[in-house]
Amino acid sequence: MLTLFLLLPLAGAVLALILPKEREQDAKWIALVFSGLAFAVSILVFVRFDPSVEGYQFVDRFEWIRAGDAGFSVQYALGVDGLSAPLVLLLGLLSVVSVLISFGVELRVKEYFAWLLLLETAVAGVFMSLDLIQFFVFWELELLPMYLLISIWGSGRKEYSAMKFLLYTITGSAFMLVGFLVLGLQAGTFDIAQLTANPPDDALVPLAVIFWAIMLAFLVKLPVFPVHTWLPDAHTDAPTAVSVMLAGVLLKMGGYGILRIALPILPEQAQDFRVVLAALAGFSVIYGAVITLRQQDLKRLVAYSSVSHMGYVLLGVSAMGAVGFSGAALQMFTHGTITGLLFVMVGLIYDRTHTREIGEMSGLIHRMPLIGTVMLLAGLASLGLPGMSGFVAELTTFLGTFDAHPAATIAAIFGVVLSAGYILWMVERIFHGPPTERWAHLPDATAWWERTAMGALVLFILAIGIYPALITEAVESGIAPIAAIVEAGA
Amino acid sequence: MSMEQAWVLPAIPAALFVIIALFNPLIPRRGDFLAVLGMAAVVALVGVILVDFTSAFHDGHFEPVAGENAFSFNWITIGQDFFTIEFSTYVDPITMVMLVVVSFVALMVLVYSVGYMHGEARYGWYFAALSFFVASMLTLVLSGNLIMLYFAWEGVGVASFLLIGFYWERQSAAEAAKKAFITTRIGDVGLLIGIILLWRATGTFDIQQIIAAAQGGEIGETYLTVAMLFLFAGAAGKSAQFPLHVWLPDAMEGPTPVSALIHAATMVVAGVYLVARFSPVFAEVLVARDVVLYTGLITALMAATMGLVSNDIKRVLAYSTVSQLGFMFVALGVGAVTAAMFHLFTHAFFKSLLFLGSGSVIHATHEQEVEELGGLWRKMPVTAATFGIASLALAGIPIFAGFWSKDEILRALFDGGETGAFVVLLATAVLTAIYTTRLFVLTFAGEPRNRQAYDHAHESPLIMAAPLVILATLATVAGFFAIDEVGRALGFAGGIGELVYLEEPHHFSVDWALAGTATAGAVGGVIIGWIFWRGRAERAIAARDWDPALHQLLVNRYYMDNLYQGIINRAIMGLGGVIAWFDKRVVNETGVDGGAQSIGYMGLRLKFLQTGKIPNYALAMAAGVVGLALLAFSS
Repeated sequence: MLTLFLLLPLAGAVLALILPKEREQDAKWIALVFSGLAFAVSILVFVRFDPSVEGYQFVDRFEWIRAGDAGFSVQYALGVDGLSAPLVLLLGLLSVVSVLISFGVELRVKEYFAWLLLLETAVAGVFMSLDLIQFFVFWELELLPMYLLISIWGSGRKEYSAMKFLLYTITGSAFMLVGFLVLGLQAGTFDIAQLTANPPDDALVPLAVIFWAIMLAFLVKLPVFPVHTWLPDAHTDAPTAVSVMLAGVLLKMGGYGILRIALPILPEQAQDFRVVLAALAGFSVIYGAVITLRQQDLKRLVAYSSVSHMGYVLLGVSAMGAVGFSGAALQMFTHGTITGLLFVMVGLIYDRTHTREIGEMSGLIHRMPLIGTVMLLAGLASLGLPGMSGFVAELTTFLGTFDAHPAATIAAIFGVVLSAGYILWMVERIFHGPPTERWAHLPDATAWWERTAMGALVLFILAIGIYPALITEAVESGIAPIAAIVEAGA
Repeated sequence: MSMEQAWVLPAIPAALFVIIALFNPLIPRRGDFLAVLGMAAVVALVGVILVDFTSAFHDGHFEPVAGENAFSFNWITIGQDFFTIEFSTYVDPITMVMLVVVSFVALMVLVYSVGYMHGEARYGWYFAALSFFVASMLTLVLSGNLIMLYFAWEGVGVASFLLIGFYWERQSAAEAAKKAFITTRIGDVGLLIGIILLWRATGTFDIQQIIAAAQGGEIGETYLTVAMLFLFAGAAGKSAQFPLHVWLPDAMEGPTPVSALIHAATMVVAGVYLVARFSPVFAEVLVARDVVLYTGLITALMAATMGLVSNDIKRVLAYSTVSQLGFMFVALGVGAVTAAMFHLFTHAFFKSLLFLGSGSVIHATHEQEVEELGGLWRKMPVTAATFGIASLALAGIPIFAGFWSKDEILRALFDGGETGAFVVLLATAVLTAIYTTRLFVLTFAGEPRNRQAYDHAHESPLIMAAPLVILATLATVAGFFAIDEVGRALGFAGGIGELVYLEEPHHFSVDWALAGTATAGAVGGVIIGWIFWRGRAERAIAARDWDPALHQLLVNRYYMDNLYQGIINRAIMGLGGVIAWFDKRVVNETGVDGGAQSIGYMGLRLKFLQTGKIPNYALAMAAGVVGLALLAFSS
């Protein structure tokens, strides 16, 4: 079933590419059907996932490179646990949303949707891989479609931003690869489960160095200060759907990698540096939020808010305990839906106004009551309003981290005031105030694909906010074994 | 219907919110009648619960309805039992008072709104948002759990934001909505930290368990003091106490019935309710309680002085609300919970009446500057009479509701040995009588100063006048609940002191010397106000020349709004600017772009990548991986 989830978007991509030129528009429908099927599979995986069973479920596995003499092998192995199952669901959801809001794309349609679908396959591979080398291959595979999508279909300084994104990730992943190889060769296996069960206690280079080599790639991806500057550029210049994927699922690869690989394989090193991580997290939350207050570009504003909000993920991680980890995992999921929705809304507004300058807009809610209402809802979710999913994640993170790092946690809690500041300031400037002649003829969100995309995300945000047990059970079952290992490393 | 099923109360307006918000274009009259009828049902059910409640009294003792007996729902459990959040309702006498106040005033305001908001664009949305507010507010007062309370606490905040910004085309309304939300959120963060601190110490979010743990000495005194101060920060934000009071006067940008309900009678007393709820804990940490006392005292006096000079009829009432909330906190600050809740009760009626009366004036004249009004009693006798009654209640004139509760507060201060605070509060009460008289006189007495507004004026229709008359009745008689005989006649053991207490029933009695002093002060204030203004705005203008510096200080609200704006503009936005610059120049351009160019290894990749042939790169990377694997394999 997981292999199906991996290959469905890939098949769609191939099919879209071989379409004859005159039937180019059909690529949209192919993308919708294949991403829709993948979404259905992801729902099935999530629903049929059994939190009471230990270990990975729905495992597909065969050996890829056998190296019996050296005592290890590289394999193709997919599986999900309570940590990855929600992320697979999130990926399925956001991929469909991304395809839907791309229905207006007219430039090189076939290729666009092919790359978008390939992106889904790559990220799916990251979330489901049970082998370090395989994980790395998919991690790198994601770069190709991202680079092309930003540099061809983007706007502004798109080549610069695409290149910057690429360089950042590659630099990180170069270190990560070295770390993986040292670990794998030392332990004689690249299998994540085996490595987790029997982590090497010594290696060619100090394990602390390996820890930071691996962490670098993940922290860049997350991102946290000071390795975050690729994010605002990439977001601002990327097309809407790519921003949604970037904020929604690609950033989560960082948090996922930390929880899946860095912490359980190197628990003692993680424990040693917990204070450093907490400090980075608390600082990122405030730093990101304060910069966000100053943004004049709507998309940059949402992008910088991500820096702040992903700081909560690292904060939860730095607690080095089950509840903090659960908070981090929940935050990844909810941030994916909330910020995904915010980027969808920014895209819808930009499609209509052709500007992202906050100062140029005023009174838009008159013309676009639906867009305005949904944007307000997304904004309230983003500032952590109870009843929406963000609050559940933030509360869990705060409660899980307070004892370990009171100062960083209180700093992060004050970030909540700042997020109220930038969200409401944005809403006031764009939607409220006197309606102007310039925007007197904007259409609201009327297309079915726009409404479906918004509706799906709103549904997820409210459902989890009102009844978090929908997702917390799965998350906790995935977190428990990881937390047990990390706590034993103290 | 009994106390156990009290959860039904918020469920009704919550359901109506969803229905009206989503489907109001399809419903006749945009669903206003649904909101009104739903609220009437809530009031009726509160009545039924009240009967159940009074019958639960035996010999002046009452067993709160909570835990197993009440509604409860396990919302979330994380980390086995690391934390569990159990949504549950809790009904005790304090809850009961709040239920009566919230549901009754809400019904009055909704009925009144049918007339006041007639013909407004977004008429349906208005009733939806009000229903949302009432649902949140009822949830707040029924919460047995701090996280559930926090849910509702933020819910009323959002409702307030939406309704202050109801006329969002007006820049000032949009800004006021934002200011209200952010200012109260500063307090809310304090509340959240307080909640977390209490949870850490006790392992529970259940309010009664926390109180029991605090009383049992399970929490260190310093720790508990800090936690309660954080909790009080939340209360001060919501209840507009110094230094977080700045949002409430601006909140008058909302429709006037909203001001009556949310910003006079209900939401702004949530802070008072919270501190009252935790009063057994505050009794353990007297330092924190003193902070409550002096915060309330400063706020009461300061807001009253600002109310003396404002020319906007609604703003005067807003300052008055801030000041009266200060009175309630003063009472809580000396542990007089009964007095605080009693004042909350009477204040809800006469202050919402004052707001609705001012709404009636604004509705009729489209004018809210008192200098442009005057002489309206001829045109609007019902409004004038009811406004007059509410003014007497606010001023503290005997037999009217405010007299009884204000007297209780003064007496608690006196008995508590807080002589200094007593004197200040008594002076504030005199100021209250003065500004109240000024407001009434300038609006209704004398000669009309703006002919156009006057000619336009007319008495409000029945649907608006009826709530005024009903509330005026209550503003007259609500104080009588203090008397034991009245309480017995109504079916419970004694007066309100018998009803609202935590440990020992409080018996109300009149201290004639004290009541006489307070009455003399109030009457004196009214006479001063009457002599000074007598319906003449020239006197109000003359007051400016009397002491221009003082007048400027008060008109500019002690320059606190300017100070905050300065802090936000200079400090926070300035810091944001510096950090944004740092992020762009230092972290990005020097650290990243510069670094990328200077590192040879990076440069190599850069050169390679700048060919733009990414597939080449991907291929090379994949080949590299396989190559490395093979290398390892062959060794």
